[in-house]
Amino acid sequence: MTQWERAQTKPVSPNITDRSNALPAKYFTEPEIFEMEKEKVFGQYWTYAGHANSIPEPGQFFTRTVGNHTLILVRTDDGDIRGVENFSARDGEPIVDETPMSDPGYVDPDELADLECVRVDSIGPLVFVNLADDPMPLSEQAGVMKDRLEALPLGEYEHACRIVSEVECNWKVFASNYSECDHCQANHQDWIKGISLDESELEVNDYHWVLHYTHEEDVEDEMRIHDEHEAQFHYLWPNFTVNMYGTADGYGTYIIDPIDTDRFQLIADYYFRDSDLSEEEREFIRTSRQLQEEDFELVERQWDGLKTGALAQAQLGPNEHTVHKFHRLAQDAYDS
Amino acid sequence: MSTQEQASYVAVCSECDVDLQTDEPNEIAAFQRRHYRVTGHDVKLERAELNLEEEVTGSDLKGVVRQLEEQYENGVPIGVVAAVMNERGLTIGETLDKIHEVRMTGGLYEPRDDYLGAF
Repeated sequence: MTQWERAQTKPVSPNITDRSNALPAKYFTEPEIFEMEKEKVFGQYWTYAGHANSIPEPGQFFTRTVGNHTLILVRTDDGDIRGVENFSARDGEPIVDETPMSDPGYVDPDELADLECVRVDSIGPLVFVNLADDPMPLSEQAGVMKDRLEALPLGEYEHACRIVSEVECNWKVFASNYSECDHCQANHQDWIKGISLDESELEVNDYHWVLHYTHEEDVEDEMRIHDEHEAQFHYLWPNFTVNMYGTADGYGTYIIDPIDTDRFQLIADYYFRDSDLSEEEREFIRTSRQLQEEDFELVERQWDGLKTGALAQAQLGPNEHTVHKFHRLAQDAYDS
Repeated sequence: MSTQEQASYVAVCSECDVDLQTDEPNEIAAFQRRHYRVTGHDVKLERAELNLEEEVTGSDLKGVVRQLEEQYENGVPIGVVAAVMNERGLTIGETLDKIHEVRMTGGLYEPRDDYLGAF
């Protein structure tokens, strides 16, 4: 493969404050950036841990890796959720094995009493952790998203399905792709038939943005968890999304979890009234899955291009306000 | 005993007279991709010792992956799927193409690279 001479490429601007300037490519491709992100992104902001409904009983727990830290999220005897480091001060060994939210384990909460705690807060049943000593409140980071989601009965819905995919691409490329729909017309040709893109709206907040889409054909109110006649795709910096579908009585979440510079895991969870999927719900998830696959193919191609070094800094399109916001938050975190 | 007899998987391109002998099933998929990219030739699986705990009875790709999932944690190696589909008349290249097709309609996913799960 032809490798561009790096000396011939340069950023179009020293920073990304101009509306059309993307984050310089080196922040996607250089391995040391990922190490920095563990501290300055995932060590500083509120990160989604999992769903409270998955650990209803005292002693039930799941683990979650954030940056370099593996955490245990456990339901305590008094009904709260506590977050502790999965690390024995005595011998340095993990206290419990890796345990996903979709298959929680049991532990005696007293065994975890002496472990170092991390901050835990929640939006409805959505549980977040923060590794910083003095973080901004979750309510500040989530902003209007917290009020909107807490107005919905999210806790009444049950976890029905988790699909985990490993994708060969930097996590920020997929996050940027999720944050805009300029690619939808070409890349999601089946899905786009039911969407009125002309009536779509991008809403940008401090650490949270929303893509609102109106469906061409209205659906019955019983088909939606929310009252608005639209789908809402919420992105919460740095790597969490809540997907309020317009055509299903349920919702979904994505965690865009980096593995290293070149790979991420997409953890897709789906919540419905009942954890046993109906055929319609199964078909709905297949469609969601199809959209993911179409996006994976797109972002893996973008990633192949980005890695060549031919592009030092991309230019964003006029509709990509949300992508610009994402890139600016990354730059702010790196500069902090 | 020759090396060829010891390897669990043997894939060959008769046009180029090259083969790959390996115990790692996913290497046959990598060999197919490499060889097809360079020559345009499909390679054939000449031998596959699967050593499965239970026989796979499904005939379609998704059903095969679903059955194999019970015998593998965190995804079925794509090479094992290719070996089972080979018994059903598909070449390695045809299986890889079919996997892509079904993935794009949401029926299959990769929990990790080159390992498959069925939905």
